Amino acid sequence: MSDSLIEVTDAVFGYGGRAVVRIERLVVSRGQCLGIFGPNGSGKTTLVRGITGLLSPMAGQVIHQPAETGSSLRIGYLPQHRNIELHWPMTALDAASLAISARKLFGWIGSRTQDVLKMMRRLELEHLASRPFAALSGGQQQRVLLSGALAGSPTILVLDEPTEGLDVRSTQELLDLLREFIREGMAMMIISHEADDLVQVSREIAWLHPAPQQGEPSTVEIVSPEALGEAILQAARRVG
Amino acid sequence: MTTREGRRGIRSRGQRDRGTKGQNGEARAAGGWPVTRVFNPCEARIAFAATLVLLFFSVLSLTARGQASKPADQVDQATQDVLKELGPAATQPAAAPAGATAQTPPEQTDEETTVSWRQLIVLFGWMLATAGAVGVAGAILGLFVLLRREALVALAIPQVVAIGAAIGMRLGWPTLPPALGVALVALIYFALSKRWGAGNWVVPSFYVAGLCLSFLIIANHGQDVEDLQRLFTGVDVAVKPDVAAVAVPVLLIVGVVCALLWRRWLLLAQAPAAAELAGLRPARWDTLFLLLLTIVILLGTSSLGVVMVLSMLFLPAATVLPWVRRIPAAMIGGAVLSLVFLAIGFYLSNTMRWPMSQSVGGAGFVILAVSQLAAQLRG
Repeated sequence: MSDSLIEVTDAVFGYGGRAVVRIERLVVSRGQCLGIFGPNGSGKTTLVRGITGLLSPMAGQVIHQPAETGSSLRIGYLPQHRNIELHWPMTALDAASLAISARKLFGWIGSRTQDVLKMMRRLELEHLASRPFAALSGGQQQRVLLSGALAGSPTILVLDEPTEGLDVRSTQELLDLLREFIREGMAMMIISHEADDLVQVSREIAWLHPAPQQGEPSTVEIVSPEALGEAILQAARRVG
Repeated sequence: MTTREGRRGIRSRGQRDRGTKGQNGEARAAGGWPVTRVFNPCEARIAFAATLVLLFFSVLSLTARGQASKPADQVDQATQDVLKELGPAATQPAAAPAGATAQTPPEQTDEETTVSWRQLIVLFGWMLATAGAVGVAGAILGLFVLLRREALVALAIPQVVAIGAAIGMRLGWPTLPPALGVALVALIYFALSKRWGAGNWVVPSFYVAGLCLSFLIIANHGQDVEDLQRLFTGVDVAVKPDVAAVAVPVLLIVGVVCALLWRRWLLLAQAPAAAELAGLRPARWDTLFLLLLTIVILLGTSSLGVVMVLSMLFLPAATVLPWVRRIPAAMIGGAVLSLVFLAIGFYLSNTMRWPMSQSVGGAGFVILAVSQLAAQLRG
């Protein structure tokens, strides 16, 4: 079985007939992390929606491979902890169970709670399970959400700005965890405007360049982490 | 595995090889959606179908019996009927309707007082049962209304319902079917406006329109104006057995359905993208929630008036929220509190000669204020 899970070829994604982003070729493979990097408004979210199938391509094709024989591709999603509405009364376990409940009939998770607890134990978060989610630190919240997303055993995990708002230590802990799961064969797509973070975990980075003329779609350049790091460094030198 | 796919649309090789139905029951939507749609079409359809069936039968039953929610004048008539049926019991001083016409009995012994409370509960049994069902369903729905920050929608729906009721009054029809029709049209518009990202003007405008148009429609029709005012104020609350026989089970079912779906509401509020990737359609679930809310408001308003429904929607949930860690606890606590509010309101209504709905709302608000204050002090 091929390692590639998603293949995108000559695709254009957009809304309402307006092209937002154009990409020539992109492959998401198991055991690898694809970084999605670009300035605000360049179409990062649109690109990810297109790759994951939430948005039909206006042109080109997107091919989803089955993860295993006879099974479907499971795409998990890790939301930003900052986007969680903390006025909802919920424990850390409730928050971690979000991802699994999404795939269960009427959201009834039943015995799958044990899977979530198992993952929380692996991430050393079990002692937080009954604590109110709102009472946790930002780093703990993000790790709790990650444990839930991982407990769903996704083939591909999409992470939206996972290190946003985290301190240096929490960021490093989170990236270490992500590397661990990538080594175990999970595919990841990380949306971030933090080039440093992407360089640490990604094998390839889809760099979105906004079109110089308004109305034209952004283009995507696939670069290595080293190339992105060098480009950022040069840009910093120019500014400096 | 194929090497060539259509020009447009997502294609899953495994999915295509298996046809349009996946192993786990996942279906592929037209246009080539990905293979991750587990359960969505099935459960959404089941939920919608069940809700629509509930709605259909409740309307059918109410209209077939000619009760059709003409709350104000029907309430008066209903009270008269109940009093007649009870005969001697109705002549007891304490057995007067809760609210405006209640009379305090002269001096009574303890035994007589006990008997009169029992008689009161029997006399207003159907009203109490309906109010209890409105309380339980309202507390559960209201919890999510507050958490989803859709309080304004909940406030606007009764006003919109009043437009339909006014149309019914003006044309001499039963009021429930036109009220339901107008509510459904408004519901669809609310859902679409949310989807389109329309401005914040939509819901407040409907609120004002409901307040104004409902009275303009029946302007210069004295009795109808009085009836509509009673609908809003909910001063007279009496419910006939056949109305309660429909409203109570439907309300309880709606409350239970909403409660069982609590993880869905939580997911859609916290991680709509995760829901979408799992094959759910957030817009459809939002519409389902609004539909459940509309059923509670419609049945509650037509049976007991706007004040009782809004009291039960907002006050129990707001009272219990500072004290709970989880949604199930909030739902149970809210439902229990709504019954406490009802009991206190019923007691006050009959001992102080206060109107029933306002007694429930007033008692509820005082308890809410104490709860919030205590929560602030607790930190």
